[in-house]
Amino acid sequence: METLVRLENVTYTYPDGQRPALRDVSLTLGPAEIVLVVGASGSGKSTLLRCLNGLVPRFHGGRFAGRVEVLGRDTREAGPRELARGVGLVFQDPESQAVAGTVEREVAFGLENLALPSATITRLVEEALVSTGLSHLRHAPLAELSGGELQRVALAAVLALQPHVIALDEPTSQLDPVGSEDLLAAVRRLSEDSGATVVLAEHRVERCLHLATRVLVLDDGRLLRDDDPQGFARWAARAQPDWLPPVARLFARRPAAAAPGDGGVLPLTVKEARKALAGDGAPRLRRRAPGPAPSRGAPVLEASALTIGYDPDLPLFEDLDLTVHGGEVVALMGENGVGKSTLLRHCNGLMRPLRGRVLLCGRDLARLTVAEAARDCGYLGQNPGDYFVRERLADELAATLEALAVPRERRAALLAEAVAGLDLAPLLERDPRGLSGGERTRAALATVACHQPALLVLDEPTRGTDPAHKRDLAARLRARAEAGGAVLLVTHDVEFAALAATRVVLLGSDGVLADGAPSAVFDGALFFSTQVNRLLRHRLPGVLREDEVEWETATDAEAGP
Amino acid sequence: MSAPAHAARLVHGGPASRPARRAAALRAAHRRRAGLRRLSPAGAAAVCSGLAAAGLVFSHPGQAAVVLVLTLAYGAASGCLRRLAPFALVAVPVALLVAAVNAVLSPGGLDVLAAVTLGPLRLQVSVQSLWWALASSCRLLSVSLAAALFTVVVGPDEQVGLGARLSPRAGLVFSLAARLLPVLHRDAARIADAQRARGVRLDEGRVWRRAAARLPLLSCLLVQSLERALDVAAAMESRGYGAGARTAWRPLRPRHRADLVAGAAVVALAALLAGGLLLGRFRFTFFPLLDPLLPPLSDRWWLAALAALALPLAATAGTRRRRAASAAAPAAAAR
Repeated sequence: METLVRLENVTYTYPDGQRPALRDVSLTLGPAEIVLVVGASGSGKSTLLRCLNGLVPRFHGGRFAGRVEVLGRDTREAGPRELARGVGLVFQDPESQAVAGTVEREVAFGLENLALPSATITRLVEEALVSTGLSHLRHAPLAELSGGELQRVALAAVLALQPHVIALDEPTSQLDPVGSEDLLAAVRRLSEDSGATVVLAEHRVERCLHLATRVLVLDDGRLLRDDDPQGFARWAARAQPDWLPPVARLFARRPAAAAPGDGGVLPLTVKEARKALAGDGAPRLRRRAPGPAPSRGAPVLEASALTIGYDPDLPLFEDLDLTVHGGEVVALMGENGVGKSTLLRHCNGLMRPLRGRVLLCGRDLARLTVAEAARDCGYLGQNPGDYFVRERLADELAATLEALAVPRERRAALLAEAVAGLDLAPLLERDPRGLSGGERTRAALATVACHQPALLVLDEPTRGTDPAHKRDLAARLRARAEAGGAVLLVTHDVEFAALAATRVVLLGSDGVLADGAPSAVFDGALFFSTQVNRLLRHRLPGVLREDEVEWETATDAEAGP
Repeated sequence: MSAPAHAARLVHGGPASRPARRAAALRAAHRRRAGLRRLSPAGAAAVCSGLAAAGLVFSHPGQAAVVLVLTLAYGAASGCLRRLAPFALVAVPVALLVAAVNAVLSPGGLDVLAAVTLGPLRLQVSVQSLWWALASSCRLLSVSLAAALFTVVVGPDEQVGLGARLSPRAGLVFSLAARLLPVLHRDAARIADAQRARGVRLDEGRVWRRAAARLPLLSCLLVQSLERALDVAAAMESRGYGAGARTAWRPLRPRHRADLVAGAAVVALAALLAGGLLLGRFRFTFFPLLDPLLPPLSDRWWLAALAALALPLAATAGTRRRRAASAAAPAAAAR
């Protein structure tokens, strides 16, 4: 088989790194492969992707050992510029990789660099825009796009180059479920049609494992496994269940007699799971006894007849009503660009509504400054780095309590609680600006929430977060709600919403499309639904997560209903 | 609404869905570009250059004032007076300063209105120096606002395209530099919002206190700017920038008559300005005695140059009306 990429014993340390980001990694990639790279935050996924086009070591410097050969060229001799035609790389943060001012110019930038004729560029730009669903935004300034739209622009800019190897670093982290499916379908189509190899680093394995032909597992810079999806699934079922799609996790818990052995098959998609469930002699599932229903406290946030937006002629929402009570974790969901983040900015007065009123703990936000509202509302935006202006995390936390004039006698207890709750003790003396993605999010969350405000507002808190930290965050938010606090969060991650939220509000262009318990909103939906619900909606309606059901054992079956 | 129904609605959007309305608004805004925005970037650049050149050449106060008014008219017709305001905030005080300095430090006027001696320095204000000051400030304002009009009307990407015809590297550097300030401003605003959201009072107290409260934010802004610069550099390299020859892509745009009219008008203007300078038609004497003020305003050479300068304004306005009318016709027929 022809080899597109060959890594031989690659060990790499960033210039300011204390330890190697990659350790002795060897692998080869052939044409038309779709390779999924999984691993915890900081395991070296992004670094591996940056090796493929020579950014490592040519751009970043540092200590590099071993050899990377891409399309027959050694990356120590041919750098990213020379490899641009062969390797396309989409970075994790789409906002910081924008070069041009408008969508079509951004997509054309790489093609211009390849010195293609103007007419060819026009055609390729058009195709890339159509395949990523961006043609209606071709003249839009990048500064006016949402995160998800920017992510699609970054992908379109790479697809337009028609490279042999496409490296995507969390390409769906900011996309809604529909956008993710469309985008991954476009990537697969490109791979099938052009023979391009796709290397995909993703935390949301359920979105792309079924597309993969191969899975690489990285752990602390080492290539732990290089397997086909089934081999990976069998290994993960034992070693890292969090990295499995929910349906695979469900089947991994089957009773021993029905569980797959080393040669068994775990379903990776809803379709495969449905088939396995319908098989002769398949054990049955039953609903577990539900936990106590969450109790609802007094209203914390009351938005009434809210009309919001940047342009009065094109408001995002008109006459929107939304109330959040104590004891609730409310997940706001909806397609990219619908206005979820903008709505969040009205919860603490960062933006003022065009019409309508917002009450925070009974007080009209129009009469409060943002700093005054901060006592009752902790707001964490999409960029955790914005919260850090000091060189020690401990100083940041203390500064919040000082700014909010929290009585001195309470500060030590609040700090201790925040540090313990978010597992920040090892980070207190570190510069928060140097923390990894997941650590940064936790640190920023502590910075805005250490005074225990009545309402916590989070804008995509799981972006770039690995499954273990996601599960951890969901548990913390639930615990906070059980203690009487309220949480309002925006997420595109349906599985996370099912895990963390007590209520889901689905927003569309005409306002609130659905509002209720996750089981009510997600049950029966096509895209805004969990894998387990899609599998079991006809057998066990309302079930969203695999931990809500259990397999019947042989004894149960004999006992009968 | 059932879940599948609302999911389907999310996929396809309704007839009046916001994304559809947003797309329609973007398309309409693109089609309805007014004034200089209707021209190609090169056409708009040529007209702005013509305005700046006229501002430099016409020294007669009345003529200079007319060029200034024409520059503002172009700004209004292009719908960007508000975006010119920040530039005017800088240009107007500078022009006033220039006017004040010229009014009191230009000796030679015979009709002295006031005079004072400060040691070795003799300050005097004369009728001639006042007219000179007025003309100088008008010319300065015309030139600076014409330059501002160019940066407002021609987007950064188009500036790259224009610059690329001369020097690709310089064009991109210019564009990235032009975008730096808005990006920094946006980052700073976001960081300030994040700090407000954790209770930091950035907007209370006197100016010095506000400045002191904002000072720690600079380190955050600096770190983010450096990270962003590195990311952009990595993204540019990854997409082949600097590998060799580069195409200056010209998207397919309908080239309409206004571009031709503007091009012809600017060529005529250049010829008239050059000819007028050679023949001394635009010469105006301020000192020691003013030339008569009115005759130059009826000079045919100047009127021809003025017509050439104003022609693109009329051409773009006319095109807009015709386009609007032609767009409305099929819609009316469909109804």
